Parts: sequence; C-alpha cells; structure tokens
Amino acid sequence: MLRKLLIWGAAAVLICAPSAFAQTATDTDSKSFAVTGNVPALCSGGTLTGEGGTFDLGVLVDTTTGFLRTDLSAPARVLGGAFCSARSTITVNATRLAAVNYTAVPPAGFSRQVDYTATASGWTPTAASFATAAASNPAASQTRDNAFTGDIAVSVSDFATTGGTALRPVADTAYRGLVTVTLSAVQ
Amino acid sequence: MRRGPALAALSGIAALAMPAHAQLAPTARKALPVTANAPQVCVMDRVRLDGGALVNFIGLDGDTLQIEQLTDSATLAARPASADLSVAAVCNFPHRIRLESQNNGLWPTDGRATSASRGFATALPYSARIDWGGTGASFVADAKVRRLTEARFSVDSPVAGDLRLRIAIEPGASNGGVAAPVLAGVYGDTLRIFLEPR
Repeated sequence: MLRKLLIWGAAAVLICAPSAFAQTATDTDSKSFAVTGNVPALCSGGTLTGEGGTFDLGVLVDTTTGFLRTDLSAPARVLGGAFCSARSTITVNATRLAAVNYTAVPPAGFSRQVDYTATASGWTPTAASFATAAASNPAASQTRDNAFTGDIAVSVSDFATTGGTALRPVADTAYRGLVTVTLSAVQ
Repeated sequence: MRRGPALAALSGIAALAMPAHAQLAPTARKALPVTANAPQVCVMDRVRLDGGALVNFIGLDGDTLQIEQLTDSATLAARPASADLSVAAVCNFPHRIRLESQNNGLWPTDGRATSASRGFATALPYSARIDWGGTGASFVADAKVRRLTEARFSVDSPVAGDLRLRIAIEPGASNGGVAAPVLAGVYGDTLRIFLEPR
C-alpha cells in the first residue's frame, strides 16, 4: 500500500516539474543534501588467544603437608583486539575458588575456598584488579577517556586459603572460580 | 531496470550487517573460569611422647617404645605399663584409621615355639586406644594366636591435629591365665597406624 502511494507521489512531481523549471531557469543551480549518520558507542571484548580462556591451576595443595601450595600460578590470558569506540570503563570481577563437590561447612582446620586477585591490564594506565578476600574493591573499575583498541591481559595471583594460612583446603576433584572482565562504553 | 538490482544489493548489505552488529553492544563481557583440584592427602609426622605420660616405659627411641621392666621380679607376672603418644597428622577427606598389630600381642622376638611351656605366659596382651578427630576407639591385641590382626575405624570428615594413642599393658596380663609367670625372653610387637581412604 505504501509503495503505491510513493509511486503516485513521484508521478505528481514529474507532471508539475516542467512549469516550475520554466519559471526559474538559470545557468547554474545547486541543491544541498544533508548526509547524516551516527556511530553508537560500542565495545568488543576481543578474542581469547593462547590456550583458551581457563586458568587451570592444577593441584592446589602441597601433598606433603596438605596446605595450599605457595607456588600456584597460571599463565595470563589475553583478550586480543578488544575495543571501545568511546570513553570506556573496564571492570574486573572474580569469585573465590570453591570446592564444587564438598559443599558442607568444613570442620575445624579446613577451608573449602581459596582467595586470589584477578587483574586486567593493558586497557588503562592503572590495571583493574579485584581481590576476592577484600571487603571492597575500588580498583576493580578503571576508566579510559578515549576510544581505544588493544589487548587486555588477564591474570590471577596472590592465592590464599580463605580463613587463614593455618587452614587446609578440603580434598575435592574440582575447585572452581570465575573471573569476569567487562568493557562498558561511557556516554 | 536499475531499481530492481539496486534494491537487491541494498538488502544484501543489510543482511550481512545484522549479525556483525548483533555482536557489539555498549557493554562487552568475557568470563574466564579458574579451576583447580585438591587431591586426597593423609600425612603423619613422627610419633612423640604426649606430655611425658609414661608408666614403666623407658621412653621413645625413634619409633621404638621400650618397656622398663616387663615382669615383677618376685612373681614373674607382667607388670602394668602404659604410654601416651601423639602424632601430628592430617587427612583432608573422610577417611579411616587402621590399627595393625603384627603379632596380636607381645610375643618372643626370636619366634621360638613356646606352646609346650605349660603354666607360663608365652605372650602378653595389650590394648591401644586411639583418639582422633572426635573419634575414640579401642583395639585389643589379645595374644591368643600369633598372627597379624587389625581394627578399622571410620572418620566421617577431614581432620587435622594430634592423633593420640595410649598403649597399656594390664597387671598380670598373660595368654596363659591371669598373672601367670612370663617365660624368659625378649618380647615385642609392631603396631602400625594407617590413615587411609575408606
């Protein structure tokens, strides 16, 4: 229906045009057309490079003592080609490593959780970091004032048994935590 | 004639553009799991005397607990003896304790045949009590037959702390009647403590 109306409208313009043209004919004429568009503020978290997106720490405990290993580490993960087309904020959040199967309250001397610090660097001059043991994490969000594209390195460190170093992690075939990195455009 | 192809081309661009646009938003989020595992571990330190509670024992020499005077010099019956020991230990999972007596009592260490010594004790029974993680259990090596014997106790949760062991020989302990005189010899047994999966 709409298409038919448009076609009739065009025909009417053609019929009327000759008389108008005859009245104002000059050597030169010009018309200006505004071409407009907009680019919304968008962000992309980039692509994970390397060995996938999991920090696999392996064995948590020193098998000669049962205490948390002091040499726990995992290679940093890189979010390659991340970008934001406007001013942006990077926020890192993390949840404690927790025993998946052992869900009961552990007995005295044991813990079923492990704290750590997650850090996202490369996006802002000051890396965003989140410590799962901290009551608040003001450094978890960092703002960049201009559009940017680049790599974000995400790392985990500073592991500690939740509740204190005198506690031992309970045995469990699976401990799991989650690091979340969020890029948000700021209008 | 031109309008048809031009419209088709535009609609084609729109179709390509939609999926790409759908991946972008003002906010992008990436989640990275952190994984690990904690294997089952049981660890025991060396045995130590618990508060010096020794009765008729000389002391602990390495892993050997030596009785000071096994028999009464007048009656030749066994004298009472006891020792309180402890071991720093940990098991980070529900487990069991296994106490294993190699001889089922104190028997002559030279392994000689003593069954013909009528009226004499040829082996000495003893008891062992263990306290661990709120579990208390007793074990008796009754010395009736020389053989390996054991007892098992379940512990329903991880435990870390001191495992306490009390070894006791009753006065007059004997496999040949109460307060029977003990045949001369060197007597011994090996008591092993295991913390292991159930």
